Amino acid sequence: MIKATACAGALVVAALHGAPALANSDTITDYEVIYAPAMKAAKAPRTVLTEITQTSSSTIAVGDYGVVLYRDNASSDWQQADVPTSVLFTSVDFIDDQHGWTAGHHGVIAGTTDGGKTWQLQLDGFQFIDLQIAHFQQLVDELTAKQEQFDGSDPDAEDDILYALDNALFLLDTATFAKEDGPTKPFLDIRALSKDVILAVGAYGTLIRSVDGGESWQILDERVENPDGFHLNALASDGEFVYIAGESGQIFRSADQGDSWELMDSPYNGSFFGLHIDASERLWVVGLRGNIFVSSDQGDSFTQIKLDDAVNINAIVDAPNGGVYLVGNAGVIGWVDANGNIEQMTHSSGAALTDLVAHGDGRLTLVGQRGVLEIADFATEAAAQAQE
Amino acid sequence: MTDKSIESNSVWLERALFNFRPLWFVIFAALTAFLAWHASQVRPEASFTKMIPTQHEFIQNYFKHQEDLASLGNVVRIAVETTEGDIFTAEFQKTLQEITDEVFFIPGVNRSGLKSIWTPNVRWSEVTEEGFVGGPVIPDNWDASERSLEQLRTNVLRSGEVGNLVANNFKSALILVPLNEVNPDTGEALDYQQFSQQLEERIRDKYQSDSVKVHITGFAKVIGDLIEGAYQVGLFFVIAIVITLLMLFWYSRCWRSAFAVLSCSIIAVVWQLGIIELIGSGINPYSMLVPFLVFAIGVSHGVQIINAISNNRVDGHDKFAASRLAFRSLYIAGLTALVSDAIGFTTLMVIDIEVIQELAIAASIGVAVVVLTNLGLLPILMSYTGVSAKGVAYTGEARGEQHPVLAFFGRFSQPKWAYSAIIVALIGLTWGLVYSQQMKIGDLDAGAPELRPDSRYNLDNKFIVDNYSSSTDIFVVMAETAPSQCIAYDNLEVMDRFSWHMENTPGVQDVKSVVYVAKMGSYGLNEGNLKWFSLNRNQYVLNANTNRTPPGLINPDCSMAPIIIYLNDHKAETLQTVVASVNAFNQQYQQEGLELLMAAGNSGIEAATNSVIEGAQTKMLLWVYGVVIVLCLITFRSIRTVTCIILPLMLTTVMSQGLMAVLGIGVKVATLPVIALGVGIGVDYGIYIYTKIREGLAQGMHLNDSYKYALENTGKAVGFTGLTLAIGVATWIFSPIKFQADMGILLTFMFLWNMLGAMILIPAFARFFARFGKQIH
Repeated sequence: MIKATACAGALVVAALHGAPALANSDTITDYEVIYAPAMKAAKAPRTVLTEITQTSSSTIAVGDYGVVLYRDNASSDWQQADVPTSVLFTSVDFIDDQHGWTAGHHGVIAGTTDGGKTWQLQLDGFQFIDLQIAHFQQLVDELTAKQEQFDGSDPDAEDDILYALDNALFLLDTATFAKEDGPTKPFLDIRALSKDVILAVGAYGTLIRSVDGGESWQILDERVENPDGFHLNALASDGEFVYIAGESGQIFRSADQGDSWELMDSPYNGSFFGLHIDASERLWVVGLRGNIFVSSDQGDSFTQIKLDDAVNINAIVDAPNGGVYLVGNAGVIGWVDANGNIEQMTHSSGAALTDLVAHGDGRLTLVGQRGVLEIADFATEAAAQAQE
Repeated sequence: MTDKSIESNSVWLERALFNFRPLWFVIFAALTAFLAWHASQVRPEASFTKMIPTQHEFIQNYFKHQEDLASLGNVVRIAVETTEGDIFTAEFQKTLQEITDEVFFIPGVNRSGLKSIWTPNVRWSEVTEEGFVGGPVIPDNWDASERSLEQLRTNVLRSGEVGNLVANNFKSALILVPLNEVNPDTGEALDYQQFSQQLEERIRDKYQSDSVKVHITGFAKVIGDLIEGAYQVGLFFVIAIVITLLMLFWYSRCWRSAFAVLSCSIIAVVWQLGIIELIGSGINPYSMLVPFLVFAIGVSHGVQIINAISNNRVDGHDKFAASRLAFRSLYIAGLTALVSDAIGFTTLMVIDIEVIQELAIAASIGVAVVVLTNLGLLPILMSYTGVSAKGVAYTGEARGEQHPVLAFFGRFSQPKWAYSAIIVALIGLTWGLVYSQQMKIGDLDAGAPELRPDSRYNLDNKFIVDNYSSSTDIFVVMAETAPSQCIAYDNLEVMDRFSWHMENTPGVQDVKSVVYVAKMGSYGLNEGNLKWFSLNRNQYVLNANTNRTPPGLINPDCSMAPIIIYLNDHKAETLQTVVASVNAFNQQYQQEGLELLMAAGNSGIEAATNSVIEGAQTKMLLWVYGVVIVLCLITFRSIRTVTCIILPLMLTTVMSQGLMAVLGIGVKVATLPVIALGVGIGVDYGIYIYTKIREGLAQGMHLNDSYKYALENTGKAVGFTGLTLAIGVATWIFSPIKFQADMGILLTFMFLWNMLGAMILIPAFARFFARFGKQIH
């Protein structure tokens, strides 16, 4: 394992008054989005935002241009965090009101220990590629060593090893090529199981884990049965299992914090984008074309709930008054009650919505294509739309 | 006096003119006929490139990529609005379809680029398990039924065209009409005026009704409206002629003289127009001012001539001698004044904007022509016709008594009045200086600044800005790279940073470029998962993501990609902030192989124009005053005299700047030349008055008497001149073209104020200087 050193840029980010402040006055001739501190931007709340999460004290949203926004739960004003990178963040998760992680494109993972005000790089794509090369090289070496000891006593096991070796060689090749291209694989979701154990999934079957709060990371790609390298899009966990959902209807389950994974029977062959475990321990999985599935037995079987609109459903959260809220592309917002009935509305912007936070008073804070959007009261607005 | 004695004191010029009167007559008549024919060929034109500073770095960059940017800029937008309900009715869709079809057949329309929800290139798409599906927004089996309309509504929502082709409130739909600057079949340049007219006739007039409203915007429409407005200016000219004729009669009480002056002045205008046509210069909405000026200058000098002739007649000379003596007494002052006008105008040549240069040339030609017609032809004409007996009698009567107005002005050479006037002038100067600090560069109103804020065009523009998501104030930065590198990852990443930097610049609404297309492409190709809204380092992926780049966002060899910055407005501060922000970015981010060059788009060009104008403002004032001072020094050879003449002009200049600030008129292409024109013509008054004061002083009169003498001889004519000039340009205040109205207001103010300044402050300053013991000369 390689220790991912935090690359906290020494660049001072000036506050935004009048013209946007440039990070500093030094000339930059080799711009690298990974190491460019996020610009403090008046329009940060209007840029593409991908995920939003709430801790006991504040709400945090992440998105494009390295934007991380936070606001005190009692306040309505967003602050922009100090972030040492400008990549598109795709995911954010907090384990308590101080410790959180965000993952994004170009193999970036950043962490905070002050509730989201300042962030440190924990992994970047260049380190990630080195990690992959080292890891897959080691894997190839191990499997080759095993292959050398083949004695034909267990042909099935030998086949498995050959197959795994093939796969490892392919992954090593890919990583070696990536060394030239630079980081191309985005992380698509991150999940903190504890202050120490963090999992992240991403494009082309990427799965990594840290057991030291993000100080160092370990590649787990080959632990998932994903020979086609499908994207792994979402993570969720209950007390017992960790779940991954991804492209092509894949659902995996792990009972040992990611060491080993079980491929579940999928109710669908299209992509899943969101996973959620609700207050009554049911597992929700949502995806392409209005597909919503819910499982009461931790993923062993699913019931389908179909949305009228065939649009992507991206995220699902608990509704404070029971049931779940879900959001999707084309401004779709829905509420599914305990009996599986859907009440639906469309946000007037028509923007793709990727995540939301539901407040006790019926308010929804949404994020997506147009940044942060607020719905004052879902029930009234949905009823008003239904009237029309 | 006999003819003989007149002959003896004459100069060669006078002899050449008066000894061959019939010959000159024939020459003038022939020239007039020839030039009139050419003048009739003059058509108003409004060339875009002539209105911009072609040497400016921004414009040079723009010209370099003009062809690639053409499809981007030259677009007409037609919004079809329903006043009843929304657009999802069978009736409205039928109208929209018909208008779309009609537009398709208007010559000049780039048919493949034409877009409305009724064109097949507007599609909806969505992601399914199998990939993209989609189709035209109008359902394939369209039958105008409820079901079809419902399907249409769904498709529109899925197409992402809300805010683009369909208004945010669903009460109107847009037809986007890109134009071909050059007809691809015939190679002919697009005739904007004709195109604009076709839009009116074939679209607006035909389809507008109680329930359907048509709003049209776009550069072609602005130009069309400008030229249409310019024709109205012709009517103003007629009005100016009628008023002037009446004033001439009121002044001279002699129809013959009135018509003679009028004819010579009109001949001057005909010559001026004929000559500019001959030199291939044409007339634009700016230089359209020149005929008015030439006419007014002609009249004012003509008045001096008939004034002198009448006086000579009163003194007992016959009509020939009276004309000849009038010529003799006036040609030096007249020439000096006209030469200073002409040279004053030529100083405008220092401004690198072709319309201003054309205006300078046209005005200089016009003034030169006035020398011939009103100092040459008019005396000859008058030597035949003479002033009518009634006119002579009127002049005679007027001479005995002092006119109360003249008596009033006469007081300003007395110390008490003089110092009061100077104090008032100082107050005016202070006012002007204070307010002129607030003078703004550039255009201050929204929409097309050439037209009035409440013009139909600007109302249409406001409608589209209010109901659609796109701003009409566009600033384009050209990202220049090596060929085929415009979508290279490293370049795109810097362009993305730049876009974000610009988006957060105050005054910027939105930024769009191929970077946005690439990010949208990645989002779309990854099953509509917004978490992929990013640039990918893998060039193959990037190429796939930018596969659907609309034309215009990258050039054919991929060496330039425009970054389009939509602004809130085009105020000078906004533009300055944007330019400064681009410069700051360029200073910090210096990516090898990528240059972010300013500027195209209407706002980019305006930024360049503003910067040229800001620089030219002081330069032009220095030149025009420099030239006028030198000319006055040559004529009068006395620094004090020149000071007396120049100070009132400066007061007017400062006060008109204050006026501009108060009236919200910015310094721009149209108003920049006004001050030069005002000073150039304003100096005439001073020259005429001071010439006579000096004559009086030379005869040993005191200052008071000298000034009274000057007023008697020339004061009336100067007052009259000020009024005629003011009337000539005041009609412009009613022009539908905003900048012509601004020019009208300012010139009227300057002509009147310069006249008052000359008649009040020249004697006052003369008194002030006289106090220090020495006579002025």
